[in-house]
Amino acid sequence: MTWSRDALAGKIPVTLVTGFLGSGKTTLISKLLLHPDMRRVAVVINEIGEIGIDHDLVTLSSENITLLANGCICCSVRTDLQETLRELFAQRRVGEVFDFDRVIVETTGLADPAPVVQTLASDTLLAAHYRLDGLITLVDGLHGVGQIDQQTEAVKQIAIADKILVTKTDLVTLDHLETLCGRIRQLNSQSPIEFIRQGEVEPKSLIELGLTSSRASLKTLQFLGEALNDAASADVTGTGRYLGQRSVAHNSAVKTLSLRFTEPFEWLSFSSALELLTTLRGPDLLRLKGIVNVDGEPVVVQGVQHIIDTPVKMDRWPSDDKDSRLVFIVRNMELDVIRNLFQAVGAIKSSSASTS
Amino acid sequence: MLHAPQSASRADQTLSLNMKLLAHHELEGFGGLGEGMGMQLTSDGRRILWLAHESAPKNFSGVDVTDPEHPKLIVQTELPHMKLRSNSLDVVGNIMVVAYQATSVGIKPAGIDIFDVSQPETPRLLSHFDCSGPYSRGVHAVWFVDGRYVHMSSGASDFQPRNPLDDQFYRIIDIIDPEKPVEVGRWWYPGTREGDEAPPPPRLPAQFDTGFRTHNTNVFPEQPNRAFIGYIDGGAVVLDISDMKNIKVVSQWNHSPPFNGFTHTVLPLFDRGLWIVSDECVQDNGADWPKLVWVVDSRNEANPVPIGTFPAPPYDAFAKRGGRFGAHNLHENLPGPTSFRSDTIIVGSFFNAGVRVYDTSNPYQVQEIAYFVPGAPKLSPAGAIQLNDVYVDDRRIVYTVDRFTGGLYILEMNI
Repeated sequence: MTWSRDALAGKIPVTLVTGFLGSGKTTLISKLLLHPDMRRVAVVINEIGEIGIDHDLVTLSSENITLLANGCICCSVRTDLQETLRELFAQRRVGEVFDFDRVIVETTGLADPAPVVQTLASDTLLAAHYRLDGLITLVDGLHGVGQIDQQTEAVKQIAIADKILVTKTDLVTLDHLETLCGRIRQLNSQSPIEFIRQGEVEPKSLIELGLTSSRASLKTLQFLGEALNDAASADVTGTGRYLGQRSVAHNSAVKTLSLRFTEPFEWLSFSSALELLTTLRGPDLLRLKGIVNVDGEPVVVQGVQHIIDTPVKMDRWPSDDKDSRLVFIVRNMELDVIRNLFQAVGAIKSSSASTS
Repeated sequence: MLHAPQSASRADQTLSLNMKLLAHHELEGFGGLGEGMGMQLTSDGRRILWLAHESAPKNFSGVDVTDPEHPKLIVQTELPHMKLRSNSLDVVGNIMVVAYQATSVGIKPAGIDIFDVSQPETPRLLSHFDCSGPYSRGVHAVWFVDGRYVHMSSGASDFQPRNPLDDQFYRIIDIIDPEKPVEVGRWWYPGTREGDEAPPPPRLPAQFDTGFRTHNTNVFPEQPNRAFIGYIDGGAVVLDISDMKNIKVVSQWNHSPPFNGFTHTVLPLFDRGLWIVSDECVQDNGADWPKLVWVVDSRNEANPVPIGTFPAPPYDAFAKRGGRFGAHNLHENLPGPTSFRSDTIIVGSFFNAGVRVYDTSNPYQVQEIAYFVPGAPKLSPAGAIQLNDVYVDDRRIVYTVDRFTGGLYILEMNI
């Protein structure tokens, strides 16, 4: 009886769409709702009125839920997102809401997406039935550079994104876009950037950005990203490769740091180090992703600020590389801080081991 | 709430979570199936799913499910008359055992048939073991997994129950020579047979009195000296069968009263010291609710302790959906090469609440991880799906059957 369940496969994926005010979220959502591939997708938005759905396309509607002709379920947040997602699952189970297999959540413009991630990870019901699939950040093609310079929230939204959609690309020059992408790459060196106009996007380009299965495959490697391959050994100072090198000169406080450890960890010491790191520097630890060798077994970890998702033990290593590799997106933090911390915890472990 | 034309959850609505319908086969209009499902791997590499029908005129059907997306009915047999049902079957290698239960006592044939199905298109009868009698309706359920012993819920010509509801008891038939089956052991609930020294057991209230008789009688190779019996109103009974001529009680656990009886299946998870015990719902419209699946700690087998129940499908959505609502059969971790086996994932059929998949990794907090509730099958007298039984193969394909008209549903789990 060795077969065991995929820890992630049965959970309903949730995609968060975030972006600074005016970056085009409403335009994107209103186009997305009517896309033919949106069958069995529930879209949670702040205000149905804002979207303006053609009545001919509405099959059923109630106070806060509208079923569209393409099978997409549009749901407005009633009290808060936590309650809305709980209700949606309960209503789905009794057949009051048609079966949906995916949720897309529009976050409010100024919102820091981290608390939403926290809600998904910490609410028992939500954690049992949903998983965060990805954070999509919209960046205003016209005003993005200015927002990055002036708004810390805009910086954070870009830094933690799994995918970045640059909007309004029809309104700007190629040079301007290159500058913007350079700035984005300083904040987030790994996540794909897609240019869109008029909110036109293929739903399939917004999905499967997260870890979809605890069974290792090519997808696992895609999820972990190429920065992992460049992860510097813990013994050497190193930083993740910047894909957009154009504006490296612009000194940003946000950095991507990669670390590699060749010695396997014991779970207790690894998690203690991580806990210490999130406790001390949570606000500056924007994003963490990686694969850890725990006594030889591969465990995928990911987190946003002080929230570390439930670690996922993989059924096998996705490649021959069995080193622990971690990529951090941090603010005002140097690689040494993280490396020293892991080494210190390791040292405590080995000193306690030697004295015992 | 959606302002749907009728109440939000409708019997014609299909509900699914992490399960996908691969194929649906109505079995040529005879889609009323019982609780006998077995899979044969033929010598030429085909997978034949054998299905016992719920009621006459059909006996059993064989469906080639080698390609689960394109099932093919290869044989469908007839019962000799309309007062008979097969209901249950099991297959080991090329030998298939089929149960026969009559609508009332004294009718023949009633017992078991043993078939050679090496040519699945033309099953060949090897022998019939007669269980008919003046107080017997024959055999309700068989368990045959080791190629030798048939453990069954059966009446007998020499068995006169004190209460006619208690007519079926545990019998073991040795078919080492499939042409000459012989009884090698039996056990009945003390006090249920005329002449017993023990007093008759106290009965459940009349509306729930379904009898002190056996339903599933499971014996597994992991512990061949134990029989795990769903004894209906007698609860879960575990027997020591190391000496089949002298069967002894190891333990008994019964949730009723105060619950409403009908213990159906006792499924041991040997490595974990647990029994998963299912009830059977036998009344329509939620009249005998709740019918549950129980988690019982059996580390000390003499002192089984219930530690939880599976999260039940929502009452409001299903109780009045049509027909029965509640637990029934579980996939039973059969030892054969074609059966899915797991000591954490449990799959069950719940009549109008469909087929449901549970993760029991934490036995104190079992999680529902998948379900599929087909919309009401055409012409169903219940007006809703009534999934009666479920079998999961080693490819983790789920086969489930409707009790009246829907036939066979083949599903894939995403778990």
